[in-house]
Amino acid sequence: MAAPAVSTKKNYLTALKEAISEEMGSNPDMLCIGEDIGILGGAFGVTDGLQAKFGAERVIDAPISEAAIVGVACGMCLNGKTVMAEMQFIDFISCGFDQIVNMTATYHYRTAGEVAIPMVIRGPAGGYGGGALYHSQMNEAWFANSPGLKIVCPSTPKDAKGLLKASLRDPNPVIFYEMKELYRQRAIEEDVADGDEALVPLGQAQVRRKGESLTIVTYGNNVYHCLQAAENLDKEGFSAEVVDLRTLVPLDQNTILESVKKTNRLLVVNEAPRTCGFAGEVLARIAEEAFEHLDAPPSRITRLDTPVPWVKPLESFVLPSVEKITEAALRVCRY
Amino acid sequence: MASTATESDQKKKPRPTYTPGPYSAKLTPEDHRELLLQLYLARYFDVRLIKEKKRGRLRGTLYSSHNQEAIIVGSLFGLKPEDWISPIHRDMPAFFMKDLRSGWRNPDRMGMTVQEVCAQVWGRATSPGRARDNWSHIGSKAKHIIHSTSMLAGTIPAACGVVYADRMNGGDAVCLTFNGEGSTAQGVFHEAINFAAVHKLPVVTVIENNQWAYGTPAELEYSLEDFARRADGYGIPGLIADGQNVFDVYDKISEAVEWARAGKGPSIVECKTFRAYGHGDHDDDRAAKYRPADEVEEGRSRDPIAVMKKLMVEFGTLKPDEAKEFMAEGKGASEVTNDDFPPQVVDYLSEGVEFAVNSPEPAAEEGGMWVFKEGH
Repeated sequence: MAAPAVSTKKNYLTALKEAISEEMGSNPDMLCIGEDIGILGGAFGVTDGLQAKFGAERVIDAPISEAAIVGVACGMCLNGKTVMAEMQFIDFISCGFDQIVNMTATYHYRTAGEVAIPMVIRGPAGGYGGGALYHSQMNEAWFANSPGLKIVCPSTPKDAKGLLKASLRDPNPVIFYEMKELYRQRAIEEDVADGDEALVPLGQAQVRRKGESLTIVTYGNNVYHCLQAAENLDKEGFSAEVVDLRTLVPLDQNTILESVKKTNRLLVVNEAPRTCGFAGEVLARIAEEAFEHLDAPPSRITRLDTPVPWVKPLESFVLPSVEKITEAALRVCRY
Repeated sequence: MASTATESDQKKKPRPTYTPGPYSAKLTPEDHRELLLQLYLARYFDVRLIKEKKRGRLRGTLYSSHNQEAIIVGSLFGLKPEDWISPIHRDMPAFFMKDLRSGWRNPDRMGMTVQEVCAQVWGRATSPGRARDNWSHIGSKAKHIIHSTSMLAGTIPAACGVVYADRMNGGDAVCLTFNGEGSTAQGVFHEAINFAAVHKLPVVTVIENNQWAYGTPAELEYSLEDFARRADGYGIPGLIADGQNVFDVYDKISEAVEWARAGKGPSIVECKTFRAYGHGDHDDDRAAKYRPADEVEEGRSRDPIAVMKKLMVEFGTLKPDEAKEFMAEGKGASEVTNDDFPPQVVDYLSEGVEFAVNSPEPAAEEGGMWVFKEGH
């Protein structure tokens, strides 16, 4: 009698959990620190069971002190450890800002390479869940503007695991943006490898959908909005290529360039505010590097220059949506 | 270990005027002489650099440790070589005075060389940080010195992390962090000491209370008489030392270090002192105006070199005639000459200065290097 088929597909959250657990298992010099990550297992359960497995010395429940969490992690790294520091919500990272941008990000630079800080600061990020002003942010631009930090934002379970594992092996500090609205999304569950096979290197974008009429560059939650918009475009006779950046710093500029040279049109989508957001950086680089390949002004859809409001109509008003992306993409295609 | 009041104003025995604590009582006459030499060395570093700057040989701002040297010297003297320290801008001599007991010119000692520190002051490629950030923003992983930033109290969390990691590895290193009283108002000061207290980490927070945070007087910085009471809020010991008396600093820091090394956790040691000059040398003229003259005169009246010599004479470890040699005490940089310092101090520092002056500046393209560790 054959056993009943059991789905081996994993969700985004499980993939993250496995990444941390596997790296803790293979690296005895790795620690985790954060608010409620031990006894509780994390506000969302990303570190569920970790303390039972690796002990309270290596999985530390920290006081509500983001500056201390980052700074302590920095000191541990200075003395030979690798540290995963969890922000309960990525919004709270602002409380540790100085320790990140002045202490941690600059360490390798100001010591002329004597000290590397292998730290990953990760946490749930992004809107679309009614989290309101302080549980919805995408603040990656703050850190993209602080040299010395790598920035990662996966959109699939495979990438969540592979990029987190790679981040935990990287000798540089990494800010890792997890899409909490994707944590338990059934629709995106997929097979995820174990061990080294799961690794996804930093700095490589992924083409999620091939197309000829337009390149849409995005990351995180917006990958799925863009894929839906691409289907709308199909009905209008345009085929969109969707590039998922996955890593913002270092940026895989070549994949974007190759795509734009093929489609000659560019739309960039992110859910951070417009002014000085990462979308603007992508537009600027393409304008500089591929101006002669463009048949239409490169364009972007971002959050409005507002905080993220709470109730649904307000939140939808300010964040990128399938409709807004479709409309903007059509404008670029028809220019 | 309990909170104690300043001892200098307690019992008035005819002699000695300082009753040695359990730690300084064990110091040998040779230790006394070494400590005095180190006080001269710290002072000479300060006045030599001011002279070099006046001669136009030096750029940048100097943050004088003048009148506060007993804190650096007394604190460092009680450490083991493998202990960690985290100095701030006013503790520049600490970088080369760490583990000085292992021999001033011992290449294996766990402190920077005076050459390295001078190279940093001069902004040369031979500085430990290759002159990428200025003044005291250097450190050494190998020598167990945490690299500071300009954000005050910003290295106390790192101090916690360093010793947490060391403890995991089976070590018993203590980390001594130096801070001005101004930095105690920072949020990160609270966060880090609270964390250290929760995890009983061997971190000793030294507060050099020199009464002025740049241009802001103590009464506008905090409302406590003594920082020892601040420690009560964390459930940790708070001690007070006479920051002009190297023996008292040594006693209190040693007590805190022993407590930490025994696994009992962090503590705060407030060293009461006075900033002799401006916040930095750029501020000397203004400081002479924004601070009352009588306060400054009073604050400078107990030069740590003079205090130490007087005590050594009382203890019988310095002859009265010897105390009259090398009269650097009570003199500003413009009044003092090399003859006011023991020759071994002048020679030692001169080696550092000459090394720095003859070192090249870093190549311009280094400005673009080392943002990331490459190969990953």
